[in-house]
Amino acid sequence: MNRLMALVKREFWENKGAFRTTPLVIGGIFLAAMLMFLITFNHFDNEFQSLKELLRFIAQQDAGLRARFLYESTLVMSMTFSMVLAFVVFFYLLGSLYDDRKDRSILFWKSLPASDTLTLGSKLLSAMIVAPVIFWIVYVITHIVIMLLFSVAIMMLGENPWTLFLGLSNPFKAWSMVLLSYFAQSIWALPLYGWLMLVSAFAPRIPLLFAVLPPVVLGVLELWIDFLHTFTLSDNLFGLFGHWFANSPLIMSADSHGNDNFGAALGIPLTSDFDHQVTVANIFDRLFSSDMLIGLVIAAVFLAGTLWLRRRATES
Amino acid sequence: MNYVIEAQGLTKRYKRTIAVDNIDLQIPAGRIVGLIGPNGAGKTSALKAILGLTTYEGNLSVLGKSPSKDRAALMEEVCFIADVAVLPRWIRVWQLIELTENIHPKFSREKFLQYLSSTKITLKHKVRQLSKGMVAQLHLAIVMSIDAKLLVLDEPTLGLDILFRKQFYTNLLNDYFDEQRTILITTHQVEEIEHILSDLIFIQDGRIVLNSSMEDIQQNYVELTVPPDRAATTRELQPMNERELFGRHIFLFHNADREQLNALGEVRTPGIADLFVAIMNGGGS
Repeated sequence: MNRLMALVKREFWENKGAFRTTPLVIGGIFLAAMLMFLITFNHFDNEFQSLKELLRFIAQQDAGLRARFLYESTLVMSMTFSMVLAFVVFFYLLGSLYDDRKDRSILFWKSLPASDTLTLGSKLLSAMIVAPVIFWIVYVITHIVIMLLFSVAIMMLGENPWTLFLGLSNPFKAWSMVLLSYFAQSIWALPLYGWLMLVSAFAPRIPLLFAVLPPVVLGVLELWIDFLHTFTLSDNLFGLFGHWFANSPLIMSADSHGNDNFGAALGIPLTSDFDHQVTVANIFDRLFSSDMLIGLVIAAVFLAGTLWLRRRATES
Repeated sequence: MNYVIEAQGLTKRYKRTIAVDNIDLQIPAGRIVGLIGPNGAGKTSALKAILGLTTYEGNLSVLGKSPSKDRAALMEEVCFIADVAVLPRWIRVWQLIELTENIHPKFSREKFLQYLSSTKITLKHKVRQLSKGMVAQLHLAIVMSIDAKLLVLDEPTLGLDILFRKQFYTNLLNDYFDEQRTILITTHQVEEIEHILSDLIFIQDGRIVLNSSMEDIQQNYVELTVPPDRAATTRELQPMNERELFGRHIFLFHNADREQLNALGEVRTPGIADLFVAIMNGGGS
């Protein structure tokens, strides 16, 4: 356990820029935008004349509606963090077993009494838990600071931020939902993570090319052969990938959910395999589906291949 | 007797070539062994097999463990420096300490800090900020702070200047080596290690062509320097090798009669480099 934690820490040290600085930059951008928004509203005429009038307009709205809006906007705010997190994890895994082969420091890592399984585990753990949790923490802090800034602005205008919005909604529910969806996404994305690690352990150079080119070539071939048979374009690797993406348990779009219950949505509501409304039940629906089971089998095959390659990485 | 390294029929094949060809080897504890051979002789392949970094055929046991199956467990007892430049460049010295401390049960932080204090390296330094020589010092400091039974050094001083190289081996000998430990070194700079070795192994085309203790070498091999007019007489005694230097002829003998040689010219123990050249050129016994 001590060894695993030491290895996870090493991943964090090596990837501090991606894991820590990146979410901090997003948070900073959010706060800067918030300040600019407040200043703009105080200076220029527009639909609401001033921030004060906007607040009056908000205060006139139904409390339930205001609470819902707060909840949904908290969820929606996570989307920026989630998107960047996805990129960070993608490139982290792609380099995870490649960089130390390239600079030969693999010989140092292999001189430590840590098994290859443990090393692989520490990298997967960093991608599945460490990076998401750091992004989530920064997201929560950013949200808190925005709420504080907004409250101060409101108080300076002589209004009470508590009755206006702070007392209406419990942000913990939205925050936990986002964290849950991050963990669910980590599991949902395991086949992709396994593939990226396999490529990282295998690629003699330019891992990005080896990660993207084979599935694209395979998908195009499939499309073409399919077209020759049926003159239609039906399911193939691209479709599979599209379904995987659209069915994701990550909050990544907004939807009306079939009625005027408008709000954040899980995945992208183009498919009807799963309910896209953001609920705990809908997240677990995905994790306990047969699709997920197949995904886990694929991930296991990829990871076993990765381990095999890693054991032999110092050959030749 | 328990051997630190024991190999029977150790063979490493690559697709088309055999790097290590059916080697039998026994290295007891408390030795400093030089593994010397020309480029491509199979030195690195043999070391990789011993360190569990590659697959192999045959029987190999290092400290009673199988390197190919038990690398992680083996590395608690074995340290290696593969080359000077393999420490990760992004890491800071304090991170390296914390990491090694948590992963290596036999690492001593006190010892490490003590070694480090004799260098210009600080805890805040990143490896990429250090010169090649300092990286080697750092790596050696880590390795010497680990209470290991076997230390494997593969070209440890490649690319370092003479001062660093001398210091490297001095530290190793004075502060680290004792009769409980075994050190296995490969290098091309044989002159530098010849007085610290206790045993010598020559390897050529994947086979061992000489495996002997330094005492045996001193007893069995003789270098004789004679003026040109005695060269022909000396040649009749069947030397292993002959070379010319400043008009004098230098012969290398294996198991020769010393009295006889003393009469002919100046007799002394050959250097490893000369012995190496002689044996590699087909003068093997």
